[in-house]
Amino acid sequence: MKTPILKQGPYLIASLQDELTDTDLLQLQDTLVEQVGRFRSRGVILDVTMLDVMDSFATRTLRNMVQAVSLRGAEAVIVGIRPEVAFAMVQLGLDLRLSGVQTTLDLEEALVMLDHQGQGWGRHG
Amino acid sequence: MTEEMKQNTEKTLMEELGFTEVEIARRRAFLELGDDDIQELLSINKLAKEYADPVIEAFYKHLLSFEETRVFFQDPGLLERVKRAQKAYFSRLTQGDYDNTYIEDRLNIGAVHERIGLPVKAYLGMYNFYLRNVANHLYEAYKDMPGKALRVYLSLLKVVFLDIGLAIDTYINRREQLIGKQREAMRELPTPVLQVRDRLLIIPVVGILDSYRARQLTEQLLDSISATRAKAVLMDITGVPIVDSKVANHLLQTVSAARLMGATVILTGLSPQIAQALVAIGVDLSHVRTTVDLQSGLEEAERLLGYRLVPVGERTGTNQAHV
Repeated sequence: MKTPILKQGPYLIASLQDELTDTDLLQLQDTLVEQVGRFRSRGVILDVTMLDVMDSFATRTLRNMVQAVSLRGAEAVIVGIRPEVAFAMVQLGLDLRLSGVQTTLDLEEALVMLDHQGQGWGRHG
Repeated sequence: MTEEMKQNTEKTLMEELGFTEVEIARRRAFLELGDDDIQELLSINKLAKEYADPVIEAFYKHLLSFEETRVFFQDPGLLERVKRAQKAYFSRLTQGDYDNTYIEDRLNIGAVHERIGLPVKAYLGMYNFYLRNVANHLYEAYKDMPGKALRVYLSLLKVVFLDIGLAIDTYINRREQLIGKQREAMRELPTPVLQVRDRLLIIPVVGILDSYRARQLTEQLLDSISATRAKAVLMDITGVPIVDSKVANHLLQTVSAARLMGATVILTGLSPQIAQALVAIGVDLSHVRTTVDLQSGLEEAERLLGYRLVPVGERTGTNQAHV
């Protein structure tokens, strides 16, 4: 199943669906990293609101996506980790894999944050 | 020391303290309390009845001559009842059959003494008084048979020490139960999640943070973040008495879980002792925002959220200064 990627101004928004397989995730990674360059996007939002579980593979792939995207010059944010998912991740020690990765409560927050960072861009380089 | 009090504890005490046939036999074996001792004690049963009255009189005279122990016998009716029970017990000491019923009786008596608050030192002191008193009577009775007096006395010592052990065990058991109850109560302490401002929560953590409570706390916090769309959380640990590596780990997990949901946790109220202890045990809190007290935590959170608190009078002046 292909993950839809929406272009919203300078940002790309990917909404991850629950029935995502490992292959789908890797495919999403390829597509995103490629599209960041094509659309000259400044930010990438990975929306995981729909996910009931985050296993170690998903966590690692998400981190890789964030790092690859940032190497291509865009900020990446993971949004919408649910309370029970966050709790389980901490229990499994998966939270450490996302240290240094920006996370926000929801899409709205992520947009505010990216807009804010975009303002600072010019001034601080 | 009333019958009614006795019955309340009767059923459970043996089970509570884990007294089985095996355990009782083990205790007797450890004291080397054997059939020969029982024979020795039975042999003076008649004599014991003779000295019972003077012993009991001296016993209570001593007990009542101290303010500390006198307070337990204000009621004259009670004193009479207790005297009778005590006399029965002393005579029971030389009647053999130190069986389950005997053990259970001793445990119940111990529990009653603990409940009325008789100090252990008084309890032991009175045993000592009793033994010294009996020793004199034995010496008198067996003036020409010092060996016999000594043998009887040593046998009596074994039974008395068996009884003391039982009583002390009930004392300890009661205290342990109390500690258990208090620990339970501490666990049940609710940890409220309070909203101070839009998108700002405060959690005052009070009491001991064990894994059960830490789990509860984290779950509660995460749900609150989602419900109130909180961006900053002040977790105040002023009321946490001990922060060891386990507790620190719980706190780190909570902070990390909140971060996954996009909220920043600021840990406040780190006392000098706790800060030093954390450094000493090598807990790394460098990824966690910490402040010394709730006030500075609140200030930091407000900065984070873009609030600025200004006194009413200074509002215009400050605005101009900053714009």
